[in-house]
Amino acid sequence: MPELRDSDRQRFARRRFVIGGILVFLLLFTGYFGWHTVQRARYWREHKDEPIRAWMTIGYIAHSYHVPPPVLKQALGLPANVPDKRPLARIAHEQNRPVEELISLLNETIEAERQQKPPPTPGGGT
Amino acid sequence: MLEWLAAYGLPVYFAILVIASAGIPFPITLMVAVAGAFVDAGEMNFWQVVVVGAAGAAIGDNIGYAIGRFGGRRKIDWLAKKIGGKDKIERAEDFSRRWGATGIFLSRWLITPLGPWINITSGLACYSWMRFAVWDLSGELIWVTLYATLGWAFSNRVQAVASIADNLTWLIFGIVATVVMIIILIKINGRRKSGLNRRAGQESV
Repeated sequence: MPELRDSDRQRFARRRFVIGGILVFLLLFTGYFGWHTVQRARYWREHKDEPIRAWMTIGYIAHSYHVPPPVLKQALGLPANVPDKRPLARIAHEQNRPVEELISLLNETIEAERQQKPPPTPGGGT
Repeated sequence: MLEWLAAYGLPVYFAILVIASAGIPFPITLMVAVAGAFVDAGEMNFWQVVVVGAAGAAIGDNIGYAIGRFGGRRKIDWLAKKIGGKDKIERAEDFSRRWGATGIFLSRWLITPLGPWINITSGLACYSWMRFAVWDLSGELIWVTLYATLGWAFSNRVQAVASIADNLTWLIFGIVATVVMIIILIKINGRRKSGLNRRAGQESV
């Protein structure tokens, strides 16, 4: 029965076409995320600074930006030599002001501090 | 979200992991890594982060399982009775029984994008709940420990760690899915050849 054979062949061809399509999509998908992973890794290798976020603590920001913690604490009106492990969100809440204000204050302070003492060059230093 | 974590600690951490594991997308990789960084800063305790995190994630996963089992199963049975396809459901259940444990375990920490789907399909296939819970919890323990440790070790770069890890899990998912599709393609080709040969044989008789 040649008709049956043809329909079989058609069915297999269609199935192969669909799976081939999915495969091409998956290859593109995998390639995209492979490329993205490499890009991310390269980006973070070159950029030591993380944008300041409300969940970060002063110590965290100081560590990330290579700035002494007391400088940042003074900028926020906190005692310079008392250890402070609160995240910015909590500091802002307790100081009754928006966290964005603290972030821009810290950014300005870091900028000023860096003009006095430039940080180690990205990727270099060793 | 991370501000809540910073401000309220463990209860928020737990709640978000439950919700996200039940299937509502949240950037929980970043959250666990941040919790690890808070451990380094002395804000949180490592073992609490691991135990509460794994418990939260496992509870969320079991909610997903329950949705599949009690919400979807009845509809599927009803549909199967109406329009047929019982054999297909049985085949899917066989597959789930054979590969269930591996799938559940690996989708907890290695191929995480599959997690919420596997929760629901395990429930749909009526995979043993006890076994689901055990493999689920062991996988989640690995996942939380892995990212909390990474966050703790790279505590000044958690955003970097999380963004690379998120891309990496999708990359692994893509590679696994590609390999599976290639295997299916090879199988179909084999079946096509043997099927055509059989037909040719029948004809010549």
